[in-house]
Amino acid sequence: MNDLVRRPATGLSRSGSASALRPQLLRELLAFVLDGESYALPLYAIREILKVPPVTEVPRASADVLGIIGVRGRITTLLDMRRLLRVAEAPISKASRVLLVDDGVEVLGLLVDQVLQVHRLQDDEIELAAAFAGNVSEHVLGIGRPRASRSVSREGRESVDPNDILILLDPAHLLRRER
Amino acid sequence: MANVHEEFLAEAQEIIEALSRDLLLLDQAQREQRQDPDLLNEIFRGVHTLKGVAGMFGFPRLGRLAHGLEDLLDDLRLGRVALSQSVLDVLFEGVEGFQRLLTETDASEPLVDLAAFAERIASVSRRGPAVRGDALARYAFDESVLSVLTEYEEHRLRSNIEQGVPLYRLRARFRFASIDADLEALKQRAKPLGEIITYLPSAEGGTGDSIDLDILLASGEAFETLREALSGEEATLEAVPLAEGAAATGGDEGTPARPAAPGQAPPEPPAMPAAPDGLLASAPDASLAMSSQDAVTPASAAVLEVPGAPVERSLRSVSHTVRVDIRKLDHLMNVVGELAIVRSAVARLTERLRGRSEHRQLAIELHRVHRGFERHLEELQDGILDVRMVPLGQVFDKLARIVRQVARDHGKEVRLLLSGQETEVDKLIVEELSDPLMHIIRNAIDHGLETPPVRELSEKPPTGTLALHAYQKGKSVVIEVEDDGAGMNEERLVETAIERGLIDEAAAEELSHDEALNLIFLPSFSTSSSVTDLSGRGVGMDVVKTNISRLGGVIDVESELGSGTKFTITLPVTLAIINALLVRVRGRVFALPIASVQEAILLDHDALRTVEGREMLTLRGATLPLCRLGEYFGIPRDPFEADKQYVVVSAAGHRRVGFVVDGLEGQQDIVIKALGPSLRQVRGFAGATDLGDQRVALVLDAPGLLEELLSTTDRARRELRG
Repeated sequence: MNDLVRRPATGLSRSGSASALRPQLLRELLAFVLDGESYALPLYAIREILKVPPVTEVPRASADVLGIIGVRGRITTLLDMRRLLRVAEAPISKASRVLLVDDGVEVLGLLVDQVLQVHRLQDDEIELAAAFAGNVSEHVLGIGRPRASRSVSREGRESVDPNDILILLDPAHLLRRER
Repeated sequence: MANVHEEFLAEAQEIIEALSRDLLLLDQAQREQRQDPDLLNEIFRGVHTLKGVAGMFGFPRLGRLAHGLEDLLDDLRLGRVALSQSVLDVLFEGVEGFQRLLTETDASEPLVDLAAFAERIASVSRRGPAVRGDALARYAFDESVLSVLTEYEEHRLRSNIEQGVPLYRLRARFRFASIDADLEALKQRAKPLGEIITYLPSAEGGTGDSIDLDILLASGEAFETLREALSGEEATLEAVPLAEGAAATGGDEGTPARPAAPGQAPPEPPAMPAAPDGLLASAPDASLAMSSQDAVTPASAAVLEVPGAPVERSLRSVSHTVRVDIRKLDHLMNVVGELAIVRSAVARLTERLRGRSEHRQLAIELHRVHRGFERHLEELQDGILDVRMVPLGQVFDKLARIVRQVARDHGKEVRLLLSGQETEVDKLIVEELSDPLMHIIRNAIDHGLETPPVRELSEKPPTGTLALHAYQKGKSVVIEVEDDGAGMNEERLVETAIERGLIDEAAAEELSHDEALNLIFLPSFSTSSSVTDLSGRGVGMDVVKTNISRLGGVIDVESELGSGTKFTITLPVTLAIINALLVRVRGRVFALPIASVQEAILLDHDALRTVEGREMLTLRGATLPLCRLGEYFGIPRDPFEADKQYVVVSAAGHRRVGFVVDGLEGQQDIVIKALGPSLRQVRGFAGATDLGDQRVALVLDAPGLLEELLSTTDRARRELRG
């Protein structure tokens, strides 16, 4: 099984759960690792998490395109999250995963080093980028500081690391590409 | 909701296409001075139906346009407005308008100015005073007959009398049980002979289970011919008596006297004044008249009836076709592709099983089952491909409409010759083909064909000929667009290219005739000195070329100054599944469509030559430019790759290139899938395909690569010289 998580694109954020009742209070995020740092994307943006299938390089494609992969019969473009965020490159490892995201035009694959867990953050656990203006790229929305008790790992166990800092990414900015 | 919308679009599109075809026939009839009331009715019905569906699905603007056209058509049908070329112009504009309204959305600018169009309709439908004398007086009709004729029937009656077509009355007995079918059969028999104007229950009524109908028929055929064809045990034919004092032939001057054998023709019982057994001399039982009219009178009920089809009282739909969203077929195609992968996995397992002696029997049985599976899978694949095929006639019909309009706008006389409309290609190709073809045709009329006076100077017939030929050639479809116009002026093409800075003068001198003609395919090339509304609006032949190569096709041009131009488009019949040669380039596998592969040979290093920095191979006396794919794509060298290399000779149109690869991995049927939008700007690949075992291979766009390679060869050549 390749599919660790499989859900409709807009699943949780609109499903009438607490998040719909208090949309600003509760944010669901998927945390992942790149070059030793933790990042997070809103869960609603993620369709699926896959193990890395064989990647076919595409000559002449732009530098952030790793290649193409076949996802259940569809040819999907795979982008390297490290290249998108200008982080040093590293080979694909056993822990590497592909996040499938739908940017409205097509479904793209994003290669990350490792998937951590889903966080549910309250507003007071999020520092918006505007607050520390200046030195961040525009695809960074802010910083998340989850209190340990709120984190739920994939296996359902609660996370115990209180020092997690999540760099919250804006999928719309991240995926804005020339077509 | 989306589905309902799609359904509407599909249905409206069908109606519009039919309207377009019928209008062209009507145009032809009008030019030949023929009247065709059936055709006019057909068009009227089409517009009426369109109005209905537009209302039903909430397209008020489309409904308004249809309503306006319907009124005009009604006037034409009833003879209130005469059919002329300017009326036809308005009708064609209307159909064009329907087409545009379909693409109009709430958000977009309105694409059709409905008020202006209503004016156009009003301008042609201003009714002239009724100039006709009372033609009806010529025959001895009973007043009660005339009073029950509908306006349309009366118009047809007058029109026939004015044209001097003799009238006959056929009295036939019909059983209630089978009246629909019998009447229909009679209509079919009468159709080639003349026109049925009306049918009414006869005064004599009939028996308890049958009814006599008086059928009023206008026909130029001889009485005997008619009687043989229509009379029978239960039917009698007679000529309608002339009114007293009216001469049979004394109609309007210039009326063609229809040939009627002497002694048989009309006034048989001479001048029977309002004969008591005339048409409906006395009103029959009212309820009978009502019911029989309901059953048989076409005037109102026929509006939505399928012409020529038996009037069957059944809810079963007449059509045996279903409309299918092309995406559903794409999905099925994908499933077949997956099955093909399963099939090869089974084949591998069978092979492994064969190697073990204890399973020999099992292996043989499995092999047999596998063969059966393979055969059915092929059938399934062919079946789905076949469903996707549509005749090119679909595009040709649209083009015929454009030809007429463009020719009229430019004061040019164009005869359009079509052939091979039945040639079938994949639906997707047909869709993508209409714009490029339209552009070529507009160019041909605008720049190619001369005006009649100019043509006469060069001793050509004043009417120019534009021919569209389609035919299948192996696994390709060839479409030729040929005109007998002025041809292309090679010198002017070269001058323009120099002016635009597309080539330099030194390079220009080296151009062959073919190369000079191919200049028109360069971006930003246009020779039209004056920009008309047709061509020269920024969409050039380069776009045509790009669109065609995106379909895996090539376009070539031949032209001779003074005698015409011919474009030849060669396309694959189908896009979905192709046979491909898998090649290995520095450890990576690429698929090369077999259609563009001529042969594959071992690279003989001794036959290599370098000409102006480019590697060439002498192959059986001819020079073949080479392209080392690995270097060309910048793929890092694979240290384990053997020295042995292969040359895959690839051709598109007249061009040939040898691709140098490191290995041949065999042939395979592949399903080409498009690359995502984010890779659209990457050239050289037609898509990708699943090889099974999760691997994906890129499919090379051979025509595109050839194009790219040979144009860089030219540039390199020029740079070396310059």
